[in-house]
Amino acid sequence: MRLTKEQEALDSRDESALTAVQEMVRACIQCGTCSASCPNASAMDLTPRHLWRLVQLGRVETIFRSRTFTLCSTCHFCTLRCPRGLVPAEAMAGLKRIAGRHHMRRHRESITFCRDFVENIRRNGRVQEMALMTAYFMHMKRPDLPIRFAALGWKLQRKGKVSLPRIGRSSTHLEALFRKVDELESRKNNTLQRIGSSSATD
Amino acid sequence: MLRDKYHAVVIGAGIAGIRSALDLAETGSDVLLIDRAAHPGGLLSRLDNQFPTDGCGMCKMLPLLDRDTSEATCLRKGLFHERIDFLPATELSDLQGEAGRFEVRLKQTLQGVDPQLCIGCGACESVCPVEMDDPFNSGLSRCKAIHRAVPHAVAGGYVIDPVACTRCGACAPVCPTDAIDLAFDRRKEFKILVVDDELSVRDSLKEWLLNEGYSSVQTAASGADALTLLSQSSFELLLIDVKMPGMDGVDLLKLAKGDHPELMAVMMTAYATVDTAVEAMKSGALDYLIKPFDPQAMLAMVNRIFQENISVKEQQVAAGALIVSGGMVPFDPRTGVNSYGYGSCPHVLTSLEFERMLSGCGPSQGRLVRPKDDKPLRRIAWMQCVGSRDCQISADFCSRICCMAALKEAELARAKSGNAAETTIFYTDMRTFGKSFEPYRRRAEEENGVKLVRARVHSVVPESESGDPVVRYAGLDGRMHEEVVDLVVLSTGLRPAPGTEALADMLGVDRNAWGFFQPSPFATARSKVEGIFLAGACTEPMEINAAVIQASAAALEAGRTLRHSGSRLAEARQRPSAGGSADDPPRILAAVCTCNGRLDKTQEGAAMSADLTRDPAVINVQFVDQLCGPSGWASLEQPIERHAPNRLLVAACHPLRHHLHRRTMAERTGLAAHLMTTVDLKTDLLPPADNGADLTRREADKAERRAKLRMGLAYLKHADPAFIEQTPVQQRALVIGGGTAGMQAALAIGDMGYGVDLVEREAQLGGHLNWLHHTLEGHTVAPYLTEISDRVSTHPQITVHLQHEVVAAGGWAGDFHSTLQDAGGRALTLRHGVTILATGGEEADTTQYGHGTHPAILTQKAMERTLASQEEELSAWGAVAMIQCVGSREPSRNYCSRICCPTTVKQALYLKEKNPEIQIFILYRDMMMPGFSESYYTQARRAGVIFIPYDPQQPPLVDTSDGARVTLRTRDPIADVDLEIGVDRLVLATGVTPRLPGRLADFYGAALDAHGFFQEADSKWRPVDAHQEGVFACGLALAPQTITEAAAAGQAAAQRALRILDHEQLGAGHPTAKVRTSLCVLCERCVEACPYGARAIDPEQRRLVIHPAMCQGCGACAAVCPNGAATMSDHNAGQMLAMIDAAMG
Repeated sequence: MRLTKEQEALDSRDESALTAVQEMVRACIQCGTCSASCPNASAMDLTPRHLWRLVQLGRVETIFRSRTFTLCSTCHFCTLRCPRGLVPAEAMAGLKRIAGRHHMRRHRESITFCRDFVENIRRNGRVQEMALMTAYFMHMKRPDLPIRFAALGWKLQRKGKVSLPRIGRSSTHLEALFRKVDELESRKNNTLQRIGSSSATD
Repeated sequence: MLRDKYHAVVIGAGIAGIRSALDLAETGSDVLLIDRAAHPGGLLSRLDNQFPTDGCGMCKMLPLLDRDTSEATCLRKGLFHERIDFLPATELSDLQGEAGRFEVRLKQTLQGVDPQLCIGCGACESVCPVEMDDPFNSGLSRCKAIHRAVPHAVAGGYVIDPVACTRCGACAPVCPTDAIDLAFDRRKEFKILVVDDELSVRDSLKEWLLNEGYSSVQTAASGADALTLLSQSSFELLLIDVKMPGMDGVDLLKLAKGDHPELMAVMMTAYATVDTAVEAMKSGALDYLIKPFDPQAMLAMVNRIFQENISVKEQQVAAGALIVSGGMVPFDPRTGVNSYGYGSCPHVLTSLEFERMLSGCGPSQGRLVRPKDDKPLRRIAWMQCVGSRDCQISADFCSRICCMAALKEAELARAKSGNAAETTIFYTDMRTFGKSFEPYRRRAEEENGVKLVRARVHSVVPESESGDPVVRYAGLDGRMHEEVVDLVVLSTGLRPAPGTEALADMLGVDRNAWGFFQPSPFATARSKVEGIFLAGACTEPMEINAAVIQASAAALEAGRTLRHSGSRLAEARQRPSAGGSADDPPRILAAVCTCNGRLDKTQEGAAMSADLTRDPAVINVQFVDQLCGPSGWASLEQPIERHAPNRLLVAACHPLRHHLHRRTMAERTGLAAHLMTTVDLKTDLLPPADNGADLTRREADKAERRAKLRMGLAYLKHADPAFIEQTPVQQRALVIGGGTAGMQAALAIGDMGYGVDLVEREAQLGGHLNWLHHTLEGHTVAPYLTEISDRVSTHPQITVHLQHEVVAAGGWAGDFHSTLQDAGGRALTLRHGVTILATGGEEADTTQYGHGTHPAILTQKAMERTLASQEEELSAWGAVAMIQCVGSREPSRNYCSRICCPTTVKQALYLKEKNPEIQIFILYRDMMMPGFSESYYTQARRAGVIFIPYDPQQPPLVDTSDGARVTLRTRDPIADVDLEIGVDRLVLATGVTPRLPGRLADFYGAALDAHGFFQEADSKWRPVDAHQEGVFACGLALAPQTITEAAAAGQAAAQRALRILDHEQLGAGHPTAKVRTSLCVLCERCVEACPYGARAIDPEQRRLVIHPAMCQGCGACAAVCPNGAATMSDHNAGQMLAMIDAAMG
């Protein structure tokens, strides 16, 4: 965008997706109600209000340098309170999708975890903690990670919170549902892309 | 007491309604003023202090000319004007006919107290056994079931709460005027039919009802039986069991209602079938009872229905025009998405509740303590925009008054606590728009220590131990803050009054998206129905100033309709006669009220009679019952005819109500109203019978009553009966300035048949309308200009003087003379009775932000011209920036120009519409988008306009080194980044400066305020008047305003001017100042002391002259005169000394 000195680049697909997010928060008046209501705000490096302002200003690099959107737990408390009637949680999800599609290194942990989590459910019909963590560690390719999680794992194990992997169930009844979601998602993305590209023509 | 025919009916007796009614009455119309409440005053009767003057001053709305037509008293006590009838507890029930010939049906629901008879003595209240939450104090204090609707109302103010009242009947016998009628004997005729399949239920219901006095109760065991009974005789109320074998209750209700639609019904139901009962209410049932029910609850319901049924009074009057001033109500936070703890945490109040706490007649008598636990308030937080600017609850509008109200409340709280209370206002934009609000904010913040925090509070949660509310918000720095306070005040927004929808449907008037009445473009007072006009906050939330201006405009429009339809030329009321000459010996008739036998006629009465007749001036003494009301006064007519007195002494309670009786008596008997006086004996406070009260106390009271009578006698004996002179009126107007306001004022006066001279400096009419392209609402300006300037140019009553200026002028109300000069130096002298200053204002010039150094940097006016002329260029622009408050809201020009923010948003939306790809940046301090203009602000945000707040300490920097484009550097406080914005155009909102030369104002005795705008007599109550009568202002010379506001102000100024023009002679009221020329040494102290500018030295005759109509009889001149030359026609020294003598016995 012309207004910044920062040179930030996204491919056209992401730019249109970002435009869609911008549309969502255009009417924001920066009152800060979302920030004050967010239960995760203390863990965020930027408050939601700050993030929306950057989205309005098109500060792509700063937005995706921040971890704020990955910390949104979609509790919709902000949505409930927003005096402009906006849906900030949706906008957070929009940013997550862009980060995921772009395989942004900075958000590798959350992207990988999310993907493994969904994949795990798809395969087992519920979370298989052991399988999930194994897959996650494998995909992250970081030897220090299992050690970091060891204490927590041990604690959970002792309390019987970790179920052992069950063999021989590779497909569940959820498969149909997931396929449908995939189908819808791709259609939605195409639409988003169309909206984005039509409003981004210069 | 109602007339058959009124010139106008005003619906809603709030501030706007009162202003419209008084304006019409002052120009000779008879007005019927109705309100659902028991008392006029609307929401304002509950606000003691109103911004921006922090006092009340409602009485300043009372007539200053013909001031004898109304009682000069606090308007909160009541409205007493001879041409205005006020009907409380009344709603419109039907409207037929058309402009000029409306047939208005009214429904009055009195809950047992007749306001005509009630004298407000309070005897009923003292015996009432039922306590309830006082609605006047928003339930923060307690009152009786029979109570004053407004504590300061003098008369007719008592009401019975229909829900709380148990109809025990204690109040009725103690009322001295028999004003309370609970109609116990009419219960016998109230026919009730109980339908239930269970015998025990039928029998017990019948028994309970019989014991309560309803002796016409019949029962039926089934629906079929009930229908048979209904066909045989008529019933008024049905009590129906929902579940019965055979025909069920709902079916019976439908059949019965089909044959007898006027039947009232209550459903009786088991808990399981409540839904059915609710369904039955849709078929016309009034209410339902859940079985098993408490007999008391059942009887209370039946009593209430009975009372409502007998208290409804339908009346019909004819009227020429209607003014709707239905007002608004505060938003209830409990109905919002976030209630902020209101209703659950006792330390969260609404702003109206807090106003009651500040009031001396509030729950804590004005002490600043928490209502729940009496804890002194030391930390108070206000939260703005509760129920306003909230898209989630369909409130995409700004309620306009809350920012100023919060500042005022915080200031008052600071003052009341001796600056000990910490007051914080959490706001989004502090909307202190207009010429007087911004300095108010500055004073509150800088001098009075009110803390303003730009943040929206997310939640209010009580602290677990103390219960003190904790407010949580995100600071601009991104950090979360939690503050513990003693009290949270929610600045609740406004909503249309309940019933607005039904009223709009009945009248055929449109409503807008938020339910407020929709006025016509450029004419806020006009609805789409001819003859129905709109005033006040029923069209848009608004402050007093705007409501009063709009109400006067509505009165003007109504007057115009009346004149057009020929119904305005009503018979002129007979002017009260003079009281004879000073040489006539006084012949006084004295009348003493016996107050339902409370005054002992044989003993005390005889003593009084002896006292009075000892004076030879007293020719007769009458003892009359209920001399406080019309019946008592009517019974005096005969003795007056028989004894032919020339003065009348009345001894009775509630002298304020006697004003109208005196005027009626003067009309009927020819006795001069100012030669009648009332002394208040307070007989209504006497115990009903000799109940052994303290003997010495009783004797002292008796002596006091006799002394009062003697004083009244002395006053009357020394009263001056002489007729006070009048001054002739030049029935023409001079309007200076031919812009929107000036043209509207000229048209208004011209349409009413008076000549107008319209002076315009330029070669064409129209002022700013000539360059404005369209309004924020999207109305094109050019057709409007053509329409009104054509009407002005061709109007037979209007003479337009183009390219003329006023070079000299003088005179006063009724007789001004002005000299005009054209460009060639030719002079022309005009005589006129009133002057309207509509000289306008202009866009301020600036050298800030590089204005004048670069072609791409321009002002809003230049931008408007560009937009209007060269639309093809717009597509070439990639980005435009706009900077607000350039040179405004700074110490050098410490006011908000009101129109720049809406103009900026208008231009931004226009640019976005023409070229959606354009980037627009608006740099602002507070976006002043009051009222419904807020929705355009939201639209602009949605359209992608980027709004960036800036700190006036660090204004944006402009760099023009980049050729054709302009580079702007500013900091975004939220994103916390420095922005560098390259734009094709930079638009500066420089604001408005008035163009009212001090010399011109001086010619007519008007004054300028600190910023050079016209100084109003009072910014709230007399917003277009000068201190000096006869001079008015409108348009930009008065204050920064939009086209529509300027048009309304022009009409309001015209309406105020018509009060004078409607007179051939301006007469004086009572008392009026006089001068004894032989004693006067022309020291001019009185001239300086007179607050109304009514005194001057005639330079030719070397004598002091007094303007008889401008003098308000305040007596300041008499007080400062060193040698007794300045005196008053009443209350003069001789009279006062005689009264003191009389008091001493």
